[in-house]
Amino acid sequence: MNSQDSKIIYVESCPICGDGLCRVRICVSNQMVTGFILCDECEAMWTDPFMQERIPTISEETEPQCPNCEQSIWGKNTHWANIGEVCLLGWFDRVQMVDE
Amino acid sequence: MVQKQRQDAAINALRMIPTKWAVIIVVAIIGYVLLQPQVNKWFGWSLPSVASLVGDEKPTSKTKQEKPNSVEKTSTPKSDSKQSQAAVEKKSDQDDSRSKTPTAQPRVSDQQVGAEPPSEKFHGILVEIGRNRFESPAGLVYGPGSEEGHRLKHIERHLEDQPKRPGLHGVFDGDMHAFLVAIDDAYSRAKSGGKGTKKIPDQGSTIYEASFAKPIGFLGGQEGGRKRQPPLKKLRVVVRGNSVITAFPFQ
Ligand SMILES: [Zn+2]
Ligand SMILES: [Zn+2]
Repeated sequence: MNSQDSKIIYVESCPICGDGLCRVRICVSNQMVTGFILCDECEAMWTDPFMQERIPTISEETEPQCPNCEQSIWGKNTHWANIGEVCLLGWFDRVQMVDE
Repeated sequence: MVQKQRQDAAINALRMIPTKWAVIIVVAIIGYVLLQPQVNKWFGWSLPSVASLVGDEKPTSKTKQEKPNSVEKTSTPKSDSKQSQAAVEKKSDQDDSRSKTPTAQPRVSDQQVGAEPPSEKFHGILVEIGRNRFESPAGLVYGPGSEEGHRLKHIERHLEDQPKRPGLHGVFDGDMHAFLVAIDDAYSRAKSGGKGTKKIPDQGSTIYEASFAKPIGFLGGQEGGRKRQPPLKKLRVVVRGNSVITAFPFQ
């Protein structure tokens, strides 16, 4: 919930579970910022907001991981992207915003 | 009469021993009388009082000591401590405002669930199997995870509408206990391929869907509001292995 101004920034409703919102998740690790798309309901993941390429979960036993550093997508290094981060990723024209 | 005879016998016995020893014994008895209550208090012992030894008083110190240790502990519901451990319980029996809508799973009181006393189970149905991990009768595990920090906290979001949330938001009509019962029911039926169910594998997770005879909730969120919150009769459960990721009613 680190998004500024209490806005939900999302790409679209989740095509997998139907109820979730596909949102931009940020992981900051080893001075590297990784952005990916994560459904806030079913935890399905995509590499970018075009949502063509899924990021697979390694196994049934493993929690979904950041594709870069392999830490948990809910770890302390992660947060929902704010609008500045979405711009830096070049994804601004792919997202929608609503008040939380 | 019996007490008087005992006291006479004690005095006669003292007369038969040397004066020096009699004094020591009397001092020891006085010391015991004075110190016995304090020693019991300090060390938690249950030394009988002289009066009880002589027969003037029944030894009650033992029963008084047992009370705080056993009765109070067992009378504290186990679920309360779990509740604080898991820190996942916000509300369990509220949100009755929408009880006009019939539920497929009638609200079951805690007393009706299983043979164990209700206090043994979290939300009246879950058994703690590890630190912050709870298992349902159907074998579903609710553990740490999700944005909320715990899967139970996450699915609790589906007990209330989020009218401003974009898209769909399935809302279960009932409390957490009824929700968990419905999730178990849907999962069990869908896993065994029951009628009106689906099982969809999806990259490390599995989506189970099951229909209910009556509405179990309604469609919320912005989209649900636009459609005037139609009742929902299906439940979707997303699991990874046997761990619940999320669950919600859907159209
Ligand atoms: Zn989803
Ligand atoms: Zn990372």
